[in-house]
Amino acid sequence: MTDPEPTDEQRYPTLSADGRAMLTRLREHPRAPRYHNQSGNRLTAAEVEQVRAFENEVLTARLDWTLDSPPTWLPDFIAQCYREVPHYRAMGSAPRCLDEIPSVSRADFSADIAAFVPDTAPLDRLINFRTSGTSGHPLLIASHPVVAASYLAFHKRALRRFGVTLTAGRGDVGVVLLGLQRKCFTYVSVTPTMHEAGLAKINLHPDDWRDPTDRAAYLDDLQPEVIAGDPISFTELLTLPMTWKPRALLCTSMALLAGLRRQLEQRFECPVLDLYSMNEGGPIAVFDPALNGHVLLQNRLYVEILDENDRRMPPGVRGEITLTGGFNFCLPLLRYRTGDHASLDFSGPEPVLRDLSGRPPVRYRAADGTWLNNIEITHAFKDLLLPQWSLHQAADGSLTLRHAGGAHQDDAARSVLERLLGPLALHIQPLPAGGDKVIQYTSDLPDPHA
Amino acid sequence: MTHEGPQLEQLTRRLTETPVDFLAEPRIGKNGLVQVDAVVADLLREFGGTPQVRELAAFAGFDAKKDRNRLATTLLLVWLLGDDWFRSAKTAPQAVLAVLGSAPAELAAQTAARHFVSDPDRREELVRVLLARLDLRPAGESAAQAQDRLTSISATERERFIAAARAAEERARAIRAALAKKAAEESADKYTRE
Repeated sequence: MTDPEPTDEQRYPTLSADGRAMLTRLREHPRAPRYHNQSGNRLTAAEVEQVRAFENEVLTARLDWTLDSPPTWLPDFIAQCYREVPHYRAMGSAPRCLDEIPSVSRADFSADIAAFVPDTAPLDRLINFRTSGTSGHPLLIASHPVVAASYLAFHKRALRRFGVTLTAGRGDVGVVLLGLQRKCFTYVSVTPTMHEAGLAKINLHPDDWRDPTDRAAYLDDLQPEVIAGDPISFTELLTLPMTWKPRALLCTSMALLAGLRRQLEQRFECPVLDLYSMNEGGPIAVFDPALNGHVLLQNRLYVEILDENDRRMPPGVRGEITLTGGFNFCLPLLRYRTGDHASLDFSGPEPVLRDLSGRPPVRYRAADGTWLNNIEITHAFKDLLLPQWSLHQAADGSLTLRHAGGAHQDDAARSVLERLLGPLALHIQPLPAGGDKVIQYTSDLPDPHA
Repeated sequence: MTHEGPQLEQLTRRLTETPVDFLAEPRIGKNGLVQVDAVVADLLREFGGTPQVRELAAFAGFDAKKDRNRLATTLLLVWLLGDDWFRSAKTAPQAVLAVLGSAPAELAAQTAARHFVSDPDRREELVRVLLARLDLRPAGESAAQAQDRLTSISATERERFIAAARAAEERARAIRAALAKKAAEESADKYTRE
């Protein structure tokens, strides 16, 4: 049986004449890039209202749980998973509390995602999000147009923290999503919950443009309310003579160093939100410099910090960020290990993730034989303008730093590493822009603390 | 089913009164509370046995997906075997070990352990399977009656299980196919991309 191409009616079920005009403007602008793909919001009229109602709920919700007092929805959620999700149903009856449930990881999802999709998920509207990741487990995440559209609720909650309320509407461009890759999924759409404000996902790689100077001109003409990207594409954006000032930048996917954030804030005179977000769980937290941590965003997501034996760590103790709940009704999470590490802090009105870092901690041996946690290196690099980097220690103790910040930053990086680790042999190599994610910290040395 | 055993109702009622300790989470690796191997060892000693480490290995769980429901069902059978009738009948520890070694895996493959307590038909099935494996029939029933009833109640459950397993396989296939469609690959709008 043939698998037909989706139609525009399926991509934009509620498209009006204004919405169509927006799509044409984005696509046929004289300085537009070559758009390679097609996608859409896929929301029916009823779903548009559903997503709007969800936004209202998220904006007013309080995250008032603690480790001693988990959220009230948790027991019903556990029971529902054991009733409706094949992976858990195979384990028998629902346990009485979360502690008794073994954690799952990316490897489990990667082995068979179908086992984690509940019986209630409607298959006719299923969409997927693919991630390659850095752990060797490529993932295909089951999702739904309503789930994708619901991301905006958490972005709005995060933006409110920085005093920004989105107002883009009919005739405006709401968001431009930036990539900088040799090959990038690019398309145009409209956001029906914002009266069909335009959405464009573009690739800043020069090969995608008739003339590289079109990049700044196109962005200046679209005047997007928000620009979303990652440290690599934002570093490229800094090189363009764009004069438009968006109301906010949303940064996802990789660690955003304070130095780069400050430079973006100064250049574009707007808040730069460092979002902790992943396909498995959506936007989880946003970094608040005033709190020096990532504030949790989702009212129906319970976050634990676990050690390797599934034991919950007390506040202040680092471990693996583990998620239960979430808003993706096609993939409910039950003790899902993210592979990222942090500690939890409950001293303020909302739970905060401290010292967030991807992947397990790696320790480096200094020249004097002492050991240094990779978090120290992240902290020490914070004032550099490195969009992406990786640090490897070989078995002989020598270090290799690869970064995408340009050779002019080599001396500063060398000086930071020498201050932290002493006079070790250090090789600095360029990390090509537009590449895939990298594993940031690695070592060949056996860690005596592991 | 050569020998007459206890009243069926005596054991089904005992199941409804299962104490929380026997409904607690089996210890599997890092999770759970009850060391099922230790509970089985205690039971075997009550029947005059001397449990060996290798005999108990099957009652230590390692993989929650494979072992959790089986060990939870084992705990329920241990609770049933704790009924005075079995001790007064001088049930052989080897027979007890044989039942616990085989029946839970077969029963747990089809039914969540908690249903052996909450559902009247499943209570009856659990009791009848236990008695049959010990070559016993419920008091007051002939061997033929006991066999008929066991076959009937187990067959109904087996049919339900087979149908459910078939539906689950079909659903998993449908999910994989739906995720591979062009429409799914095109995905849908998000304000940010990870």
